[in-house]
Amino acid sequence: MPDIKFRVKRQDPGDNNNPEAHWEEYTVHYEGENLTVLEGLFYIQEKFDGSLSFRFCCRASVCGSCAMYINGAYRLACQTNVKHLDTDLITVAPMPHLPLVKDLVVNMDEFFAKYEYVMPWLVRHSPDPEKEIIQSPKERKKIDMPVDCILCGSCYSSCPSVWSLGASLGSKSEEYYLGPAALLKAYRFEVDSRDEGGKERIARWNNERGIYRCHTIMNCVEACPKELNPTEGIQWLKRAAVRRKLFRKAK
Amino acid sequence: MSAKPRETANVGAGLWKATGMWAWLLFRISGLVLVFYLGAHIIIISTAQWGSGGETFDFMMETFETPLFLLLDLALVVAVLYHALNGVRIILMDCGVGIHQHKIIFWSAMAVVVICFAIFAWVAFTYLLTGEGVAG
Repeated sequence: MPDIKFRVKRQDPGDNNNPEAHWEEYTVHYEGENLTVLEGLFYIQEKFDGSLSFRFCCRASVCGSCAMYINGAYRLACQTNVKHLDTDLITVAPMPHLPLVKDLVVNMDEFFAKYEYVMPWLVRHSPDPEKEIIQSPKERKKIDMPVDCILCGSCYSSCPSVWSLGASLGSKSEEYYLGPAALLKAYRFEVDSRDEGGKERIARWNNERGIYRCHTIMNCVEACPKELNPTEGIQWLKRAAVRRKLFRKAK
Repeated sequence: MSAKPRETANVGAGLWKATGMWAWLLFRISGLVLVFYLGAHIIIISTAQWGSGGETFDFMMETFETPLFLLLDLALVVAVLYHALNGVRIILMDCGVGIHQHKIIFWSAMAVVVICFAIFAWVAFTYLLTGEGVAG
């Protein structure tokens, strides 16, 4: 029965006696060969400290709830097998540069407000067809990459443009950078052959808040646990903005 | 996107090893260095020509030939080369070229920086050590 040491960053800003951040160590026992970081956190919660807070849901890297900063990289706790980290010390911290709620839980309100801002839904103007809206395999191929985004927030938390402008909640949040996740979602619908919302949506991302704050730093690509490429999408949007301005294309 | 094998999936190097972030940070720093250099250059060269006989100008030119200033010149060469070649990489990415190969392009650009710098350093050190230019 192997043991592995977990070093977890704990902080409860609401606790008046101890509001500061501190690291706590726990030794986790497990059977067999495999243990995910999320299972380790469950173990700690059951055996050592029931007040440990973290988000999780699907346990299959589909929902994007459990993104954390594990051993110096953005990872999904449920997807990360401690065996693959090749170490006997697992450090778990909340995603940096986001406002902390408690322990490993960060405030994602701003993230989702920006996500909603780019109109991440299908916009149609032409009358609905009788059956489904036809899309060829070639057209479907274009959205293969962006549809895989699970909105875990890793890219948003890793982007230096977000750090300087808008990771923390503020009254002027409507001026802040939308971040890679929201722009990737805008790209997902702009590149979709079925979507007709080009004219309304472009105003949301073709401005100082949107694509032009991306300096192709590529941290989002580095961070993404689903191995997507938000920068590719943002660069596509930049070119699309120019194309539409020059050639007056609707999409 | 083709998924990596399960054994290596999601084992990232972390942001401290992220090429793109350091490339961007150094790009900004070298840009600032160039802006300050350009300002200083214009002010010094223009004001040195004031006064009679051009003595100040000659004195300045002699100062700039001292080893310290030659080494600073080499540092300037690094800033210019880095800023120019990383700039090419960023322009390429804006044109949609090499977004997936940005690390390879970055390190290729750095190889060009090293080669160009070696030529400049050879010229500078030949002058420093022998007091003559490489052509003579």
